[in-house]
Amino acid sequence: ERRGAMQPPAMQPPAASPGPAAPAGAELLRWQWREVQAPCLVAAWILVASLAKIVFHLSRKVTSIVPESCLLILLGLGLGGIVLAVAKKAEYQLEPNMFFLFLLPPIVLDSGYFMPSRLFFDNIGAILTYAVVGTLWNSFTTGAALWGLHQAGLMDPGIEAGLMDFLLFGSLISAVDPVAVLAVFEEVHVNETLFIIVFGESLLNDAVTVVLYKVFNSFVELGPAHIHATDYMKGVASFFLVSLGGTAVGLFFAFLLALITRFTKRVRIIEPLFVFLLAYVAYLAAEMVSLSSILAVTFCGICCKKYVEANISQKSRTTVKYTMKTLASSSETIIFMFLGISAVDTSKWAWDTALVLGTLFFILLFRAVGVVLQTCVLNRFRLIPLDRIDQVVMSYGGLRGAVAFALVILLDRAKVKAKDYFVATTIVVVFFTVIVQGLTIKPLVTWLKVKRSDHHKPTLNEELHEHAFDHILAAVEDIVGHHGYHYWRDKWEQFDKKYLSQLLMRKSAYRLRDEIWDVYYKLNIRDAISFVDQGGHVLSAAKLALPSMPSRTSMSESSVTNLLRESGSGACLDLQVIDTVRSRRDKEDAAMHHVLRGSLYKPRRRYKASYSRHFISPDKQERQDKEIFRQNMKRRLETFKSTKHNVCSSKSKARLKEKGRKKAIPLPSQKNISVTSDAPNGKTHRNVPWQEAAPVLVMVSSEEEESDSSETEREDDEGIVFIARATDEVLQGKTTPEQELGKIPLTVSLSAPPGSLDVCPSPCIIPPSPTLAEKELPWKGDQADLAVYVSSETTKIVPVDMQKAWNQSISSLESIASPPGIESGPQHRRFACPVLEEQPQPANQAMSEQSSCFQFPSHISKSGRSQSDSSPDGAELQELQPLMATEEQGRMVPTTEPRWLMFNRASNL
Amino acid sequence: MGNKQTIFTQAQLDAYQDCTFFTRKEILRLFDRYRDLAPQLVPLDYTDKPAVTLPYELIGSMPELKDNPFRQRIAEVFSENGDGNMTLDDFLDMFSVLSEMAPRDLKAYYAFKIYDFNNDDYICKSDLEKTVNKLTRNELTPEEVNLVCDKVIYEADVDNDGKLSLEDFQHMIIRAPDFLSTFHIRI
Repeated sequence: ERRGAMQPPAMQPPAASPGPAAPAGAELLRWQWREVQAPCLVAAWILVASLAKIVFHLSRKVTSIVPESCLLILLGLGLGGIVLAVAKKAEYQLEPNMFFLFLLPPIVLDSGYFMPSRLFFDNIGAILTYAVVGTLWNSFTTGAALWGLHQAGLMDPGIEAGLMDFLLFGSLISAVDPVAVLAVFEEVHVNETLFIIVFGESLLNDAVTVVLYKVFNSFVELGPAHIHATDYMKGVASFFLVSLGGTAVGLFFAFLLALITRFTKRVRIIEPLFVFLLAYVAYLAAEMVSLSSILAVTFCGICCKKYVEANISQKSRTTVKYTMKTLASSSETIIFMFLGISAVDTSKWAWDTALVLGTLFFILLFRAVGVVLQTCVLNRFRLIPLDRIDQVVMSYGGLRGAVAFALVILLDRAKVKAKDYFVATTIVVVFFTVIVQGLTIKPLVTWLKVKRSDHHKPTLNEELHEHAFDHILAAVEDIVGHHGYHYWRDKWEQFDKKYLSQLLMRKSAYRLRDEIWDVYYKLNIRDAISFVDQGGHVLSAAKLALPSMPSRTSMSESSVTNLLRESGSGACLDLQVIDTVRSRRDKEDAAMHHVLRGSLYKPRRRYKASYSRHFISPDKQERQDKEIFRQNMKRRLETFKSTKHNVCSSKSKARLKEKGRKKAIPLPSQKNISVTSDAPNGKTHRNVPWQEAAPVLVMVSSEEEESDSSETEREDDEGIVFIARATDEVLQGKTTPEQELGKIPLTVSLSAPPGSLDVCPSPCIIPPSPTLAEKELPWKGDQADLAVYVSSETTKIVPVDMQKAWNQSISSLESIASPPGIESGPQHRRFACPVLEEQPQPANQAMSEQSSCFQFPSHISKSGRSQSDSSPDGAELQELQPLMATEEQGRMVPTTEPRWLMFNRASNL
Repeated sequence: MGNKQTIFTQAQLDAYQDCTFFTRKEILRLFDRYRDLAPQLVPLDYTDKPAVTLPYELIGSMPELKDNPFRQRIAEVFSENGDGNMTLDDFLDMFSVLSEMAPRDLKAYYAFKIYDFNNDDYICKSDLEKTVNKLTRNELTPEEVNLVCDKVIYEADVDNDGKLSLEDFQHMIIRAPDFLSTFHIRI
């Protein structure tokens, strides 16, 4: 280490060492504090602040009562005291420049970017009113009242300040501070509407604050004698210029940003950089022309998000999210800490009790009055009025913070004589609002029973109906020609859809950006993740299928997709991508699959030789695995039952039991639920993976080189084959009422697989060998000619191929079985995937057939027939499930597996 | 737009007031809106209850509505005989339901009806598929639509009959408290 440290100085030319006193020889080491001082201090402060945060959060009790911002300010006070004691002077300050140029932008960008835009624009009227009218009201009333106090002689006569000075002070002290509000309200969890109004106000009032501050500052500098009427007009004009200009700058950069991210496909790695860079440039550009920089960044964040998120990759999205949060959080930490440190510097203080108390009193009073007055007006126009409690929280939540402090520091002492008094007052006000109000707002909210934000899960229903309601309301507004809020939103959405999205989004992203599907996707992923979290480590993929809903079926796929992606397995091994929707686009994935397929074939073949010698051992191994798996599943199911789906499963079970065959309507979901609930007594694992593999195998089976992969899959995770079969039948039970005749026997055969040969009357099956595959066939058969093809082939090749397939499958199992548990899930997927993507065309066809079949029942059900018809099957199937589970257990493995494989083999030939 | 009495008789106005959640003033304003839709069809004098209906073609062809997926459905649900042609009564009804005074259950009922495309008093899967397709402008594959519909039914189907009854629908709406609070139009 030492040598490494030595090198740079040694390589430096001697001229670099200052002073002639330096020895002629090369130095070993040189103290370079001066060079690194500034960044080193910055790093040290950030480190201290971050460590302090860790310490605060060691005790949950403390942080649950005291907001972090308070703790940080107190810490800053302590540190400032130490520095003061050591250095005898206050060295570190919250420099306005540093604050405005470096600390504020991340926070504002973060809040803008993650602003719930729908909520924000729903309440934009209220937000704007509070931000503009409220801030104006607060500034003028506070300033005027303080001036009145001064005139009345209640203040120290040493304060040399006129009306303009007080108005200036009022303007800077009255603005609600976004940083403070965010810090406190994030921990309070009031309902979203309340939060967005207070927080939105704090962001948007920046324009007003900036303008008022500048106007009054220039008035003070000019002196009251030189102010003309035109100056007032200029003030008003500059307000519009500053606010609209800032917004325009933000919109411009948002547009630019979205446009740029559209073309970053080949340089994914710098995507996050663009987000930060352009937002920062927007901030600087607005600052440069003295427009409202906060507005610029806020609107840049709000507007670009939709397009940027759609354009950049998943990883970039995560990066942006975390980096933004990290930056904002550290900025906030530093700001509060430095607020504390700066307060120690008594040289800038000039205390006047009357001024301080008066200011505190007036800002609280006028804030409350202003809120009440404005709410009165606003409630006439709001759909959901703000009630009294909301108003209390809003007025009490008007926290002041670092913006006010930075602005007051920026005052010119030569022009504003009373600067020291103002600084002291501002510090007191900031501390009071952040510490006292921050501490008490939580109990207050609890005491007033303010409606909290409930973190209920977003449901697909809500999403769906919200969209539908939007359209409905817009339609009604259109019909009457009433151009209200819905009308404009509808118009905007159409404009966005037609032009903006086309221009700013990638084609692929544009296609996929459908919100309803997004919500569905997210729900699935969340469910899947929660299942995985619940469930330890074995066979995550199979576990995902637990919920046994048809909808969850796809959930498992899509979630697996995501899990695989997030776990960093380089290739996209995801079935969802391939088999359902997005098959065409993942070119790279396709390539990857090819590679994987190529490389994964070999070990299996290699093991083939050894297979015959250890004929039994793999079997044992397999059984062991199965045993482990089953126990795992059982345990998981029990926990699962007892927690999440308790109500659902027990209810449906009870209902079905009691209703029996008479009324039970066999929604696949129900069946599956009941199956799940039956699980602990029987072979749960069989039921479980059905769901998962269903879409896979159904689609796969039409393809040619499927055999290998599905064998592997099968061996690897033995439940999967059943799945295919079962799901098909479940699906069938639901979807093809016309097939009723064939279906009932099928169900029976499912429940007793080995002995079901003679029961299976489906025309396209060849009676003697009702393999798993064939059971699946009859009903593939009536969608395509596949069944015919396969069945004829099967008969021919059975004997030979069976052996072969069995061997292969065993060997493949061997190769995979060595790392059991987690790996098996992804791995069998890996095997499955190449097949799927190999021939996307047939898969798609199969899928579309499938889907047409899905849709079918709904039309039928209209006639009311399906209910009575299909219900017996459901009940039957359901009742048979446990039976099957016990029966099957022993026989299943030897008898059905080879047949299954054989089938695959056959189709391969 | 002239004197009140020339449009409606006192009895008519009272009847309208009783049947809707509107005041007399709002009723008159709505009448103006209604008349603006087709000045040539709607007479200024409604005292003798002329059987005026606005044909659906007139509503459906409004340029503002041409992108709205629900235009026909709304007209159908609120028109008395379900053909999409609207009388003044239908028109008033529509707004009455969407006014803030209307109780939540009424709103829920009409929302439910809008979704129930085949008028069988259940939202079944085909209804949902239609809704989803309308909302997504047919951008989802049938497979995806199917999955979404399954999920929606699964979420809201309390009595497990595979379709959503009015009770299911209301139950779901109660679970999300702010839900119908936005189902308003201010005139």
